[in-house]
Amino acid sequence: MTAPPDAAGAGCRDPVTGEPSGIVFDDVHKAFGRHHILRGLDLRVPRGKLTVLIGRSGTGKSVTIKHVMGLLRPDTGRIWVGDDELSRMDDRRLQKVRLRFGMVFQHAALFDSMDVFENVAFPLREHTRMAEGAIRDKVRGLLAQVGLHDAEDKYPSELSGGMRKRVGLARALVRDPEFLLYDEPTTGLDPILAAAMDKLIHDTQQAHPQLTSLVISHDMAAVLKIADKISMLYEGRIAHEGTADFFRNHDDPLVKQFLTGSLDGPMKV
Amino acid sequence: MPPSPPHPAPAPQDASGPEHARGGLLGRWAVRLVEMAGRPALTVLDGIEDVGRAVRIGGMGLANIAIPPVRLRLTIRQMEFIGVQSLPIIVLTSAFTGAVFTLQSHRAFALFGAEGMVGGTVGVALTRELGPTLTGLLVAGRAGSAMAAEIGSMRVSEQIDALEAMAVDPINYLVKPRMVAAMLVLPMLTALFDMVGVLGSWFVGTQVMGLSEPEFWVRLGEWVDWDDVWSGLFKAWIFGIIIGSVACYKGYYTAGGAKGVGIATTTAVVVSSVAILVSNFFIAWALP
Ligand SMILES: Nc1ncnc2c1ncn2[C@@H]1O[C@H](COP(=O)(O)OP(=O)(O)OP(=O)(O)O)[C@@H](O)[C@H]1O
Ligand SMILES: [Mg+2]
Repeated sequence: MTAPPDAAGAGCRDPVTGEPSGIVFDDVHKAFGRHHILRGLDLRVPRGKLTVLIGRSGTGKSVTIKHVMGLLRPDTGRIWVGDDELSRMDDRRLQKVRLRFGMVFQHAALFDSMDVFENVAFPLREHTRMAEGAIRDKVRGLLAQVGLHDAEDKYPSELSGGMRKRVGLARALVRDPEFLLYDEPTTGLDPILAAAMDKLIHDTQQAHPQLTSLVISHDMAAVLKIADKISMLYEGRIAHEGTADFFRNHDDPLVKQFLTGSLDGPMKV
Repeated sequence: MPPSPPHPAPAPQDASGPEHARGGLLGRWAVRLVEMAGRPALTVLDGIEDVGRAVRIGGMGLANIAIPPVRLRLTIRQMEFIGVQSLPIIVLTSAFTGAVFTLQSHRAFALFGAEGMVGGTVGVALTRELGPTLTGLLVAGRAGSAMAAEIGSMRVSEQIDALEAMAVDPINYLVKPRMVAAMLVLPMLTALFDMVGVLGSWFVGTQVMGLSEPEFWVRLGEWVDWDDVWSGLFKAWIFGIIIGSVACYKGYYTAGGAKGVGIATTTAVVVSSVAILVSNFFIAWALP
């Protein structure tokens, strides 16, 4: 493995939070056919912090998060997770890296052939030799934590969207990951459930100080409350990054428009 | 297959009379002819790419037999789904196939007084051809389609991504159990098809057409070798591999939401049925 260069790799500190970088994108390009989605993306996700990636629909936020887990591979450019560089990694090594992650999918992606309990227990059954009793305690504890202690026996088709996302969060947390990725955890939820989910994300981060989180979100009010760092994806690159305060007080028309949800500005519908 | 180009717009009508119109018509027919001749060629090319990918997915699924975990429970569940749940349709189809085949061959053999050949003829036809082929087609329609739909909907709802994100190889988890199950179950269902088919034949031959018991059984015992049975079961094993590979491949590469799942389901049935019939010929040719 080549040592990361000073400018980009995992060794460098994140300028916004001063923490070492947990995930680093260095000049990543990705195109689907003629659609050039990521165009030289440089992204740093500081360790032990909660970073939020914002950007309009279709700018490639989900594509970015899929690159972090090696579900998609960059056309050019490099991606580090800790000290491991993903882009040239073979599948077996990639599996090892994925074991350090938990991911909450945009539409939960629960296995619809399994009930809630089995969904959450799945990563434990696949990757550990935990005894059945220990698995039960762990899964029940997490389901209680996300407020779903009475939904154990339900199947995903019997759950509301908000419940599914919370089961997805429990499943992502069950192996105590180093990194936690959320793809639009609150989109499609009613305002109260969305606030509950934001609180859950915030509390999860507080409860696991070592956890490095990357959240994709549209919900600016919530983002400004929970984020340690905000990165804004625009036209395939990070247009702005900074703390919540930095974004609140920023004059850039792009930022202003996104924060206020205005129709006038550099972004056209 | 790319969508066929829109039909050439009709030539604007001018005053130059019928000759011109006929020329336009001929031209249009020529275009149609080329289009129609080109379509099978495209389909064949398409088919070859299909075959390559299906073989890759199926091959990886089989190669994964050597890679733990064994996935015994998932395999048994698939065997139950492909096998046990196919029992009624297999029994019904085989009984009536044996029955109608006996009816027709009895009529033909009666023309030259050779009714005694009915049992043997039906026995050989069932074990060598009808058993494996019809079982294959039935399972492709019933279980292959469901497999493609299930894997396809897992693809479009990102459940396959979720598997990968959790460091679980979807080939090992989804494809392997289905391949193994299809491969094991098809010969069993075929053996059942053969047996029930012979019973159906016996019923029509002896109870309806009036053959005596020895007339029916003697030739059957003389003509049907173990070789016939084995070659039928071997074919069934191949058909199981075909059904598993095609269904998993079509499901795995599903794109485009619910509509995509529908397309994957129907093409899985069509492709595996055609593959069964075509490969059946070549296996029959190659086997003694
Ligand atoms: N596997 C793929 N094949 C082809 N195109 C893709 C693929 N994945 C994403 N895209 C395209 O890339 C673009 C960005 O998609 P992405 O899902 O990352 O958007 P997003 O920023 O997450 O939007 P949203 O907020 O709506 O979820 C879209 O135009 C999408 O059509
Ligand atoms: Mg998205």
